[in-house]
Amino acid sequence: MDHLVFEVGTALLLVALAALVAGKFKISNVPLLIIIGMLVGPHAPHFGLIDLRFIESDEIIAFLGRVGILFLLFYLGLEFSVKKLMKSGKNIVTGGTYYILINVGMALLYGFLLGLPLKEVLILTGIISFSSSAIVAKVLVDLKRTGNNETELILGIIMFEDIFLAVYLSVVSGLVLSSSGSVWGTLLSTFIAIGYMLIFFVIARKASGVLNKLFNITSDEIFIIVVFALLFFIAGFSETIHVAEAIGALLLGLVFSETEHSDRIEKLVIPFRDFFGAIFFFSFGLSIDPTTLGGAVWMVLGAVIITIIGNFAAGMIAGRKSGLSHRASANIGLTIVSRGEFSIILANLGIAGGLMPILTPFAALYVLTLAILGPILTKESKHIYNILNKVFKWTPPKVQKKQEKEVH
Amino acid sequence: MKIRESELPGIGQKFEIITRNDEKLVIVIHDDGRRELYHFDNEHEDVISSITLNDQESRQLASIIGGMVYKPQALETIEMSLGDLVIEWFKVEPGSKAINQTIGSIDIRSNYNVTVIAHSKKGKKQLNNPGPDSIIETGDTLVISGERKDIRNLIRELLTDERSD
Repeated sequence: MDHLVFEVGTALLLVALAALVAGKFKISNVPLLIIIGMLVGPHAPHFGLIDLRFIESDEIIAFLGRVGILFLLFYLGLEFSVKKLMKSGKNIVTGGTYYILINVGMALLYGFLLGLPLKEVLILTGIISFSSSAIVAKVLVDLKRTGNNETELILGIIMFEDIFLAVYLSVVSGLVLSSSGSVWGTLLSTFIAIGYMLIFFVIARKASGVLNKLFNITSDEIFIIVVFALLFFIAGFSETIHVAEAIGALLLGLVFSETEHSDRIEKLVIPFRDFFGAIFFFSFGLSIDPTTLGGAVWMVLGAVIITIIGNFAAGMIAGRKSGLSHRASANIGLTIVSRGEFSIILANLGIAGGLMPILTPFAALYVLTLAILGPILTKESKHIYNILNKVFKWTPPKVQKKQEKEVH
Repeated sequence: MKIRESELPGIGQKFEIITRNDEKLVIVIHDDGRRELYHFDNEHEDVISSITLNDQESRQLASIIGGMVYKPQALETIEMSLGDLVIEWFKVEPGSKAINQTIGSIDIRSNYNVTVIAHSKKGKKQLNNPGPDSIIETGDTLVISGERKDIRNLIRELLTDERSD
């Protein structure tokens, strides 16, 4: 008998449960979805009608997850805007550049020190370099930090990271997904990826007029069908020329971001991104055998430490360079340290490229750690600053008061 | 007062206000319509207090602060602008032409392109909806709306004492 819909329904029920619990405790739903995905799967028990092994529905859940990545990256592309970056000012560009240099640099070094091959190093670097935009924005709002002095810079660095991520993903996917083992074949597919990206950039610049006309549709119903048709078609077409479908979605989002209709598309896509995105994280968890997590513990520990140090240092430099106080600058690093959706997307790219299987449990454990630890660090930033202040002796208010007393 | 406006991508718009007394207030308007007000300490570094308002509450608060509900005694005239349209509270000066005439007889709307929104008799706080037979007296406050130049014209010609200029 065909229980397909029932199985998918059961899976969605678990996804909904994770989302509810995450909402209750005000944390990101990404780690919970991965955990719940790991707990079920082929090794899980099944009682009568309820089959938590998801054998029959495995393929369809994986497909819905694939659609989730398309929406996640399409949305990332839509948000991407060179205009916004230009407008954001020098501080953000400088801060973002420091962030990328320090964190990507340290991550590459860490990868090579672990003795991983190049492709694995690039994926590992991606996993640990990119903050979770979703968690950072959520934490800022939840902790009522939006009015703070450092908030613009934090969001600016996040935006800068997202733009860098778009380019990084395109190039790395070209490298990782190339089927050829030779240097030439790899270079060729990287060039195809870059060339393909450039074509999209040109289209974004030149064709926005034509697209504006095409999208001039009053009915939301027809509008959404046209947009989604283009999304799936272009993403699928990209796959045929060996550019990851996710990158196709990203590049298409980027083209649409230049049109007048970008806000409307964004609004329509958000619910789909949230729904299918949740299934993606669940399906990622489903693909992990929890017993493999133990093997990644030390690797994760090292990565978490360099992430916190790298993010803190970059935040400090970026903040001080743009004239913020030491305390506000410390808040930057302690806020952008959260990891989530992008790390999982990178890990998934690694799976697609058939890279070392250790990357999957590594990414899962790493994201679980920093999706939970990150917001805690943000919340306790004041205490952390006070402790660090005793070591580094940045202009603390207490010392100033003491000095005043001595003068009197 | 210094106002600095900046965009918070994905969240909304932020307005940082430093008053003449060097007090700092930050207003964040979220994309979902929520407003958050943050009051900072003297170093402009830490938030002392904050308040969250929904869209409707913010509008009510705005009209209270803007003096649309109650005009502080200290102010003779108040102005607020909605694009080109200006609303002004004006106290009729002694010796001006409009005194002892009715709003209808001067026909302010067609002669000056200005609408009298409300008319408050001298010494009374409440605003009345003015009819054409409301008589204008010294010390009354008129709430008028129109374009800035038309309002200036009306005030100069009818509501102030021309000889005193």
